[in-house]
Amino acid sequence: MADVSDHPPFDVAVVTPDGPVFSGEAHMLIVPGAAGEIGVLARHAPLVATLKAGSTRVHLGGSEILEFATGPGFFKVELDRALALVDDAVNVKEIDDTRAQSQLEAAKAELEKVEAGESTADRWQLEQRIRHAENQLSVSGRTTG
Amino acid sequence: MASVQDYKRRIRSVRNTRKITRAMELVAAAKLRRAQARIEAMRPYADTMRELIAGVGRAAGSVRGLPLLQQRETTATTLLVPLSGDRGLAGAFNAQVVRRAFALERQLQGEGQTVRWLAVGKKGRSTLAFRRREVDGTFVGFTDAPAYADAQGIAHRAAELFVEGEVDRVVLVYNTFVSALTQTVTEQEILPISADILETDEEERRDDVLRGDFIFEPEPEQILERLLPVYVETQIYRALLESSASEQGARMTAMRNASKNAGELIDGLTLEMNRARQAEITQEILEVVAGADALA
Repeated sequence: MADVSDHPPFDVAVVTPDGPVFSGEAHMLIVPGAAGEIGVLARHAPLVATLKAGSTRVHLGGSEILEFATGPGFFKVELDRALALVDDAVNVKEIDDTRAQSQLEAAKAELEKVEAGESTADRWQLEQRIRHAENQLSVSGRTTG
Repeated sequence: MASVQDYKRRIRSVRNTRKITRAMELVAAAKLRRAQARIEAMRPYADTMRELIAGVGRAAGSVRGLPLLQQRETTATTLLVPLSGDRGLAGAFNAQVVRRAFALERQLQGEGQTVRWLAVGKKGRSTLAFRRREVDGTFVGFTDAPAYADAQGIAHRAAELFVEGEVDRVVLVYNTFVSALTQTVTEQEILPISADILETDEEERRDDVLRGDFIFEPEPEQILERLLPVYVETQIYRALLESSASEQGARMTAMRNASKNAGELIDGLTLEMNRARQAEITQEILEVVAGADALA
C-alpha cells in the first residue's frame, strides 16, 4: 500500500464549540460520513457532507495518526482545505474507558427511572449521553483491542 | 456605651466577612477569564457554521418547507427563556434578567398572547415557582461552566415545542457581557430562525462561482435540515457563555464593593474603639484624681 506521506499535505481542521482540537497540515483525513467513511486527500473536489458519531482520523504522515471520537456534525472541503465541524471530539488517547463505562451505566440507570416515571430528567439528553459514551467506548475499543 | 471588647468582637467579625468576599472576588475573576476564553474558543465554530448555512442555503432549492424557518402568520404563544444563574451574590445579575422577562410577559399578554416558560438556572427557577408560573422545562446546575451538551438540551426542548406548534416564537432573555462593571440585558428571538441567515450578497455569490460546484452528500435540503437545529444550539450556547461571563463579572464587582464596604466599616469601628478606650482611660484618671482630692 502506498504511504500517505507520498500525498502532498493540505490544511485540515477539526473544530468543536469548545475550540479546534486539531488545526494544521495533514496528508489525509478520514471522517465518519452519514453514508459511510469519507477519506480526503489534497486537491479533493469541493464537498459538503453530514457526519455521524464515530471516529475521525488525521494522518500526519509516516505512521503518525491522530484519532478522535467525534460526535455528529458537518464536513466541508474547499480549495485544499478540509474542515470537520463536530459537536464534540475526544482524543482517543484521552478516553478513559472506566469513566466512559460508568457514565454509560449512570445514564442508562437514569433512563430506566424515567421510563418507570420516577425521574423527570430529560429523556432526549440522557439518550445523547448514552450515545456519546458508547461512541467513545467503541472507538477506543477498536484501537486498543 | 459599647465597651472596647464589644468593638474588638465586631471588628473581628467584619474582618472575617471581608476575607470571604475577597476570596469570592478572586474566584469570580478567575472564572470570568475562563468564560471569556470559552467565548473566544467557540468563535471559529460559530463563524464556520454561519458560512456553511449560507452556502448550503444558496445551493438548496426550496427552503420554505423547513419547520424551523417557518414564520407563523399569527403569533399566539411565545416561549420565554430567561437565562439566570444558579447562585446569588452577583449584584443585579439575576434580578435584572428576571425583571426584564416579566416586563416582556406583561407586554406580550397586553397584546393578547399566551406566554410559556423554560427555566434556566436555579435563581430563575425559584422565581418562576414563587410567582406560580408553569414551566415547560427546567435546566439547572451548569451556569458556572455551561457545556455544549447543556445548550443542546435547551435547544432540543425549545425546537420540540416550536415544531409541535405549542409555541409560535422562542425568545431568549439574558445578560450580555460588556465589562465586569456593565452587563446589558438582551432579548434574542431564536425561533423561528430568521431567513436572513440564508441570504447572501453578490460578493459571496461570485466566490461561489470561483470555488466551483460543491458535491453535496446528502442533498443540500437534507443537510440544511440538520444544520438548522445545530444553528439554534450554537445560538443558545453562545448566550449561555455570555450569561456565564456576565454572572462572574457581576459577582466580581459586587464582591469588590462588599470588600470595600467592609474595609470602611472596619476603619469606622477602629476609630470608635480608640475613642472608647480613650474615654475609659480618662474616666479612670478622673476617678483617681477625685479619690486623691477627697483624701486631701
